[in-house]
Amino acid sequence: MIYFDNSATTFPKPSAVITKACYSLKYLGGNPGRSGHKMSVRVADEVYKVREKIAQFFNAKPENIVFTLNCTHAINFAMKGIMQSGGHIIISSLEHNAVSRPAFALAYNRKNVSVSVAKVAESNEKTIANFKSLIRRNTKCICMMAASNVTGEILPFKEIAAVCQKRGICFILDAAQGAGVMDIKLGEGINFICCAGHKGLYGLSGTGVLISDGKYPLSTIIEGGTGATSLELKQTDFLPEQLESGTINVPGIISLGAGVDFVKENGIDNIRRKEDRLCDIFASQVGQLDNFTVIREDNKEYAPLVSFSYKNANSFEVTEYLSNRGFALRGGFHCSALAHKSLGTVEDGLTRFSPSVFNSELEVRKVVTELKKVNNIGI
Amino acid sequence: MQKSLIAVSSITYAMKAKKLLNNMGLYCEIQKTPKNLGSGCGYSIRVRDDLRYIFSILDAENIAHKAYQKLPE
Repeated sequence: MIYFDNSATTFPKPSAVITKACYSLKYLGGNPGRSGHKMSVRVADEVYKVREKIAQFFNAKPENIVFTLNCTHAINFAMKGIMQSGGHIIISSLEHNAVSRPAFALAYNRKNVSVSVAKVAESNEKTIANFKSLIRRNTKCICMMAASNVTGEILPFKEIAAVCQKRGICFILDAAQGAGVMDIKLGEGINFICCAGHKGLYGLSGTGVLISDGKYPLSTIIEGGTGATSLELKQTDFLPEQLESGTINVPGIISLGAGVDFVKENGIDNIRRKEDRLCDIFASQVGQLDNFTVIREDNKEYAPLVSFSYKNANSFEVTEYLSNRGFALRGGFHCSALAHKSLGTVEDGLTRFSPSVFNSELEVRKVVTELKKVNNIGI
Repeated sequence: MQKSLIAVSSITYAMKAKKLLNNMGLYCEIQKTPKNLGSGCGYSIRVRDDLRYIFSILDAENIAHKAYQKLPE
């Protein structure tokens, strides 16, 4: 199987990531931050080293790196933590359900929370203006993605974060599709970065990170054992333990450290350049086929993924056809209700091609050849 | 120099303190906080330099220290 579904989760993983996961399972026994014996402290030391690596990667402090199960958890922690006391939140019209569902759940379930959706327009200037026009006196938070998981479109999040900074509004960035392929750091208005560990950072599934600049204290949405202040019934109130109730995913975290090292050693720019080249080949070739439409516009910038539609079948049928011929792409709606409503693709969804640094041009040409056959003779 | 035990907020802050002090060439080890020094299941750092000096370093890095005790020589 040739794997082009790296926006869902990267595969294969770098050998160093696999080695570290095995090393952790074999040698890093003990529960970090709990038992206090030498094995436990050694694991805690290894976990802290990963906090340091991620902190350095995103321009944060190690104690403000919170390990979560995935990006969705991180977003929920940040958004619900900020909106605990009510207020108005703005999201974009391309958001993944990881952002839109918690936002709308807050609005549905809480009388004191309201949500607005800012339309992502044909130009960044208009998109920024759309966000600005929705800001109210009680706007507490803007939460948006760095890049769309459906189209790859990169949103003007830096400019909108800067607006938030001027207006004293908390800014939460969903970096699920950006971390590892875009230069994303805290600061200049970005107060929280939420990312998956298992996508562009090449860690294992079941890993995510919430990165805080420490300016906005969060309320908790789950509570429990943290290894600190154990005799108090009140939840630990400082990061990272405040948001890390229960035992953390040690093999996942340790191997995520190796994933971050992999990205740093290869260089974000080099990884991006390679993946962009693969996407450009794919988009230009498939874009020439009469019966296919590639979702890309000349004046926009894209993260390395390409979505497309086929005139004579829906995206589920296209991906099933490709799967039967040895290609793993994702069809359907990509957990993105808002995006498909905005794009007008609610009926058939889109098929998404998302390479990683491990894919080759030859592999891309093979899947393009298959799509050319579809174009000529159908599914 | 007599060793002291300083209770910090959590294992993360104990790790941060240890790395900071060790990088400055100062002795620092981590251990569980004894019951008389904390509110249960916390972590402490064992140091042997002047406490005022250690506290100034911890304060500069926002490493909260809750309580301390001198350890028997």
